[in-house]
Amino acid sequence: MKSARNRSLAEIASLVVILTLIIIFFSQASPIFLTQRNLDNMLLDITTVGILAVFTTLLMIGGGLDLSVGSTVALCGVVIGALQGTWGILPAAAFAVAIGALVGLANGFLVTYVGINPLITTLGMLSIARGLAFVFSDGLTIPVFDSEGTQFDAYNTFTQFGEGQVFGIATPVFIMFVLFILGLLILQFTSYGRAMYAIGGNAQASQLAGLSVRRYRMIAYMLSGLSAGIAAVLLTSRLYAADPRAAPAMELTVITAVVLGGISLAGGKGTLIGTALGVLILTTLLNGMKLLSTSTDAQNIAQGVVLLLAVGLDQLRTRDINWTAWLRGSRLMPDGTKAIAKGD
Amino acid sequence: MKLLRKFVLLTVLLGIVAMPLAPVTYAQAQDCPTAKDNYVIGFANLTEDIVFTQLVREGILAAAEEAGNVEIVLADNQLDGATALANADNFIAQGVDGVIEFQTDEAFGNVIMSRFRREGMPVIAIDIPMPGATFFGADNYLAGRLAGEALGEWVNANWDGEANAMLVLELPQSGPIPAARMQGMEEGFQETVNTPVADEMIFRLDSKNTQEESFQVVSDTLPTIPDAEKIVAITINDGTALGVIAAAEAAGRADQIMVVGQGADPSGQEAMVAENSRYLGATGYFPELYGFQIIPAMIDLLECNAVPPAIYVNHVFISQDNICELYSEEWPAFCTPS
Repeated sequence: MKSARNRSLAEIASLVVILTLIIIFFSQASPIFLTQRNLDNMLLDITTVGILAVFTTLLMIGGGLDLSVGSTVALCGVVIGALQGTWGILPAAAFAVAIGALVGLANGFLVTYVGINPLITTLGMLSIARGLAFVFSDGLTIPVFDSEGTQFDAYNTFTQFGEGQVFGIATPVFIMFVLFILGLLILQFTSYGRAMYAIGGNAQASQLAGLSVRRYRMIAYMLSGLSAGIAAVLLTSRLYAADPRAAPAMELTVITAVVLGGISLAGGKGTLIGTALGVLILTTLLNGMKLLSTSTDAQNIAQGVVLLLAVGLDQLRTRDINWTAWLRGSRLMPDGTKAIAKGD
Repeated sequence: MKLLRKFVLLTVLLGIVAMPLAPVTYAQAQDCPTAKDNYVIGFANLTEDIVFTQLVREGILAAAEEAGNVEIVLADNQLDGATALANADNFIAQGVDGVIEFQTDEAFGNVIMSRFRREGMPVIAIDIPMPGATFFGADNYLAGRLAGEALGEWVNANWDGEANAMLVLELPQSGPIPAARMQGMEEGFQETVNTPVADEMIFRLDSKNTQEESFQVVSDTLPTIPDAEKIVAITINDGTALGVIAAAEAAGRADQIMVVGQGADPSGQEAMVAENSRYLGATGYFPELYGFQIIPAMIDLLECNAVPPAIYVNHVFISQDNICELYSEEWPAFCTPS
């Protein structure tokens, strides 16, 4: 237990070092990087990824995976746009969050009760949600505004989600912080959080120990969908428009950030603080590259490399390699023969 | 002492020479707070994944280099509203003097422009109008009309001024901009041709902007008009036009059709110069030249000179008749006299 905690601390420390190095590099490369304005922009830019990453972390710790979060954001946004006129903007926004949760529940049901592989299930849901977003919007972006002039206060409240401030912090950033703290409390201090670690570590043993693996995982999928609904409300409010193409390839960014933060693809490992650092590292890297006018292709390559590095490191961590023995074993001896490690 | 006297003399002389300029510079600074010697301009491209927008970017960089006092900061909107908004915020953080916005949807215009207006930054919006920005882009109705008129003239000259049917390969999902293009083509044709095509013989087909879909819908439609021997097709772009021609060839009716389109990209030009081509031509948009109109306009905006609220591309209908004047290097076999 103690060694696992030490390893976790070491991982977090290494993430802090990486983040610090990135910050030092870009602050030298661009005089704008550390300005208040750019830091504010960066925090605002990471809100969608950050919010989605909180419950993706919970889900992946429990051994699940959700590739449909980006499409669910688009679908929920379109629901707001399509229903704003008839239902009113605030009920439409609440319904969109509920739709997000429903999509998550559907994913959870198909994975846990029907037994379809999470990758296939959520890949299918990715197509369904994106397709529905296009159907409900006729493929067009829906402007969000009080077209009849009868819901001034409601629209004013709605725009505060994206453009307002709470305690001097932009509302989306504030909501992201709140969700991170909530996620942290769930993971560290509730029986549900501990159960998710156990389920991700060994689902069969957890089942035998009396944990309701299906129910716990279904809740995690539902929370993942719910977070997509919340992200959709904030995004739609920021843009004053609902776009069926919104959040393109967002799932890739979210999973990259989460895995980078130390969440194991095999489940059962990782912390939300690691995820927060993963999100920060990824967005800092992309923001810095943007400031240096780096092409999108290069940014995509960087994101891909970061994902592969993170997964590679995750694999090495999972194997629990004894590095000293490995290095000793692979070193060529002065006479050209390979050293034989003890016990070989 | 001698050196000091020389320095004082030189300073006085420089002062005398510069004196007439000083009030102008002072007045300029007073009247036009955005005027400077050198400018940093942000350009957020629609996407970097298609040839058209890559040509726009290359043209803007070339024009900036030609201007000599303009540095371009690049960004990619990736066809996404949230990315466009983030890029707008980044431009403001970077303190650019003006912005060229090529973003995906009119619906995002308000929120993006509110950022720039707050900073007092001049903005030129490419192809998608944005409130308060100078518009630059295609004159879609005119571009359509040029192609429609050319097709009408061809029918007058070759088919005794009469066509039996018209295929309209449109793109309804993309809203009013492509619709204006299609309207221009249809009206241009109907008003030029001696005998307009009857309403019941006009077939409106959703091309979905792809060659494959265009091939499919035309393949489905041609059997329903077996008696039509003179068919005209107006299309949203070159790819769609090529789909129409391929469908007519597959049905063995290539000699019964004549097509016009929009864009005149290399694939369209290749079809135009082909032997017995059924692609009469297409209206050119010349994205590689956008920058040479946009950068001077942006400098004018920054120097507080009058700029029209909308600047349009100089469209030309490109066909076998004039392609060698514009693209002789691309088609040497066609353009070099044998």
